[in-house]
Amino acid sequence: MTTRRTFLASLLAASAAPATGWAAVGDPTYLAAAKQGDGSFVLVGLREGGEEAFRVPLPARGHAACAHPTRAEAVGFARRPGTYALVIDCISGEVLHELSAPQGHSFNGHGAFSADGTVLFTSEQVAEGSAGRVGIWDVEAGYTRVSDFPTHGLGPHELRLMPDGQSLVIANGGIQTDAFDRTKLNTDTMQPNLSYVGFDGTLLEKVELEPELHENSIRHLALRPDGLVGFCMQWQGEEGAATPLLGLHRRGEAPVLCEAPLGDELVMQGYAGSVAFAGEGREIAITSPRGGRMHRFSETGAFLGAVSRTDVCGLATHEGGYMASDGLGGLILVKGETPTPLRRADVAWDNHLVRIAG
Amino acid sequence: MTYRLTLCAALLAAPLVAPLAAPAQAGVPEALSAHILPGFAGFAQATETLAGAAQADCTAASLREPWMHAFDRWNAVADIHIGPSETGALPVAFWPDSRGFTPKTLTRLITGEEEVGRDPVAYADVSIAARGLYPLEFMLYDPDFWDYEPGSYACTLVQTMTRDLARQAAALDAGWEEQFADVLRTAGQEGNATYMGEDEAVRALYTQILTGLEFTADTRLGRPLGTFERPRPTRAEAWRSGRSLRNVLQDSKGAYDMAAALADWDLPQSKAALDRLYELAERVEEPSFQAVDDPSERLHVEILQQQVRALSDALELEIGLRLGIQPGFNSGDGD
Repeated sequence: MTTRRTFLASLLAASAAPATGWAAVGDPTYLAAAKQGDGSFVLVGLREGGEEAFRVPLPARGHAACAHPTRAEAVGFARRPGTYALVIDCISGEVLHELSAPQGHSFNGHGAFSADGTVLFTSEQVAEGSAGRVGIWDVEAGYTRVSDFPTHGLGPHELRLMPDGQSLVIANGGIQTDAFDRTKLNTDTMQPNLSYVGFDGTLLEKVELEPELHENSIRHLALRPDGLVGFCMQWQGEEGAATPLLGLHRRGEAPVLCEAPLGDELVMQGYAGSVAFAGEGREIAITSPRGGRMHRFSETGAFLGAVSRTDVCGLATHEGGYMASDGLGGLILVKGETPTPLRRADVAWDNHLVRIAG
Repeated sequence: MTYRLTLCAALLAAPLVAPLAAPAQAGVPEALSAHILPGFAGFAQATETLAGAAQADCTAASLREPWMHAFDRWNAVADIHIGPSETGALPVAFWPDSRGFTPKTLTRLITGEEEVGRDPVAYADVSIAARGLYPLEFMLYDPDFWDYEPGSYACTLVQTMTRDLARQAAALDAGWEEQFADVLRTAGQEGNATYMGEDEAVRALYTQILTGLEFTADTRLGRPLGTFERPRPTRAEAWRSGRSLRNVLQDSKGAYDMAAALADWDLPQSKAALDRLYELAERVEEPSFQAVDDPSERLHVEILQQQVRALSDALELEIGLRLGIQPGFNSGDGD
């Protein structure tokens, strides 16, 4: 009998068909969704220096994209709660496949490929009750739906492939939303968690923060090749609580919360939008578009400093530092405490800047 | 309208277009020279006077007037939260203090006669809840605190706090004058990672104006109003010193003044809205909003709140719309 486990194993073992790689679209390092001056939306490939490698149209505002590891293919997710995701050929701009969430599910804005690009995992929730599901799609069969398994929490947001290539780390935001109007239903009792899950859905480890931080919704993730996970949060409790917005975790250990001094923490307005490790992995940063700020921390959680930039949100690892993007079109390189403007593009960069693997 | 501003308005009408190589200087230098820099200089001077007065006579009765004056000067620039003020405004004005950290920290310092309270330099490391204008309000106006004797620990603490405040004000003044003013003035020039276009500097100042008015409407007025069933008068800002209404007016005027300096075209609707706000303020009988549990007084304060919002709407129309400034793409989103 073909179990889900053996089926997945056979998928992962199948060699990817030769196809046109990222070199064909100018070797971009990053993907970013954006809004153009005329109000239309695009997906843009950016090189290490911020130059534009390609630009293809998107039918509507996206949330995050995820990049196929080898082929010039990106999956763009609609804003939450979305019912579709689009597989886009970054060479032609053509929509290769339209992925529909199963009846009663919605996409939650993020997804991840397996290391060899044969499987796509999508973050989803069941509309009624907000239970999290990981959707599994067979890429080689034209992105067909295979099955799904639980995220082990409510309202999952980002999920990422662990460096072992055999498990996922999932940010379960913990928020139960109304199936129709997205109203938050459970902020009093919400319990976010960080879950590590095997490809067969087995829960490997679950991390919850102390009870007084139960309103700190865990939403976005960064990974270091050695397995250190950075998770950033959005506070749902009383304004001005100045709770930490970043945590570090390594499998089998207790999480470390990264706190900024009170005055700095308050400027972030309880909101972190993106998280990324710096190039060499010795530091990690989060952005707050609401506070117009980026906060840097050491790999052990010590506050290193802030960079101010209006509406900054996108953040990704850059050789030696970070690349940050913002709603005013800015692309800024941050090395150590020094921000260097690369250029201001003629678009408003959307929430996330995604680094293409490899 | 001047040629310079015509150029600028055209540039800003399409905010997503890359900036010109030699950017026009729409109003930013004027906002700095006519409003922001004199504002911080005035506050620095007023706090120096306050600290000097405390050195000569630390008692509450002799310090209320210079403290009032310092607060008046602060209100011109209180709602600016960029540059040195991004983190520097909060230790001057830590409010609202929903968990009551200010009285708790003061009580702890005084009861324990903690040494840090005698050292104006070390005092910079004390919790921001015990620094700046609001803890001084407790010391000068709250019946649990104000009746201290010359020579007492509390007297020395007040001297330390006023000196610390003057140091903060001097640092803000210097930070703006010597550093951040140039960051705004050189917006769009090579190497400026804070403002990558001149329009971004305009936008930053404009945002300070609108968020300041929003804070006045939602928090300075909204907090004491609470709900009709449960008004919360003691949640008003600076009610102990009776300056709640005065702050609302001065903060609104500060926003308008900065807007008027930023735009060198006329702002007739905004000016009318500000004038109307001052007229409506005369109907409020209790300037510390302590009578908001009385339905007619409550109505007067609610009308004031609506008028602050009307001022904000007028500025949005007369500046934001004209310049094509749109709300933040990501900050207004979420996820």
